[in-house]
Amino acid sequence: MKLPYFPGCTLYTRARGLDHSTRAALAALGIELEELPNWTCCGTAFPLAQDSYIGMVAAARILDSAAQHNGRLVTVCSFCYHVLKRVNHSIKNNAEARRKLNDYLEQGYGGETVPVHPLEILKHDVGFEALRARARGRLKGLKVACYYGCLLVRPAAEMAFDDPENPTIMEEFAAALGVEPVHFPYKTACCGSYQVLNAYDVVASRGREILAAAAAHGAQVLITSCPLCQFNLDWLQGRGEGTVLPALPVLYFTQLLGTALELPAEGLGFESHYVDPRPLLLG
Amino acid sequence: MVSVGPSGELCEKISEISGQNPFLCMQCGTCSASCTGIGVMDLLPRQVVRMVQLGRREALACRSIWVCSSCLACTTRCPRGIDIARLMEALRAINLRRGHEVLSPERIPAALLTEVPQMAVTCAFRKLSA
Repeated sequence: MKLPYFPGCTLYTRARGLDHSTRAALAALGIELEELPNWTCCGTAFPLAQDSYIGMVAAARILDSAAQHNGRLVTVCSFCYHVLKRVNHSIKNNAEARRKLNDYLEQGYGGETVPVHPLEILKHDVGFEALRARARGRLKGLKVACYYGCLLVRPAAEMAFDDPENPTIMEEFAAALGVEPVHFPYKTACCGSYQVLNAYDVVASRGREILAAAAAHGAQVLITSCPLCQFNLDWLQGRGEGTVLPALPVLYFTQLLGTALELPAEGLGFESHYVDPRPLLLG
Repeated sequence: MVSVGPSGELCEKISEISGQNPFLCMQCGTCSASCTGIGVMDLLPRQVVRMVQLGRREALACRSIWVCSSCLACTTRCPRGIDIARLMEALRAINLRRGHEVLSPERIPAALLTEVPQMAVTCAFRKLSA
């Protein structure tokens, strides 16, 4: 099966591991991602001011260009997925947004594209039972904290991804790989996000709480689909500010998937992590 | 401090930009209890909403609106259905549209700027600079 794919900016630079592991793991499961031609940044922040349509134009253009290819558009970065899904929701449900954005696009886009996240593809297209059969048991018994953060699940009515307070899709995914998802009460807490550039204390204190909670519940690694969550939690520990010993590797869920499928580790992007996950995963 | 005329005007402007009715707030504090940035805020999110209800300009001048990470925990949990993150964005927007910003490139340590994913840079500048 071929599906159109929007990588997003960070996946071409700091989060190459997320891009490479997503493409490789889905390809191993029979899903070929076809990168959209001429894509741009999604805008990163969904504009929360009602009168700010200009902040939605880039995402609207991406959604419209995908509509010419296929119904669905795969994107894995939590920021991109959040922005594309909410802009699409606005175009579908808000006549003013639809009219104004189409004035910019010079198209008649009505919200036909369906942004999908690889976790949804794994659940609904591949199936967790089929995934269980493919995972080789290499990671059996590994204790994993599934960290959703904010943007995948909130706001629930627009994201329609999972329960906003107690999502479980990542735990179901982890269980299918043969690893052991741990109870993790901070799974939808925010890591502080872009405040790393403005109010660093927020990221340091929230990051420490999230890591400590994961470690206290026995986690050996933490998984996420957000390059900024990954950076904040990993970098904090790289600076020696994590206070969790041993340091907790922060992985993309697709890197865990690639490892469980026994894909070559060199293609999964582990070398750019601050806390090296290789001794634990491949050791 | 940014000025927006008489106090009623401030509330009206915020309602217009956010699409939210701040008077639905009953001051329960669920937003404050859920907030990511609470540790470095001067006003609790609940107090920010109260200031908006009262048309007090402290709402525009507080640090809280700038350390909000737009995580939407308050929005998701508000029992009165107020999208509080949109109120915070409206307060930032009023400031930014008058040229009052809090983030400028020279404030960011170079070591951090070369490490951080660029999504953080784009997002932070869209939220915090004019």
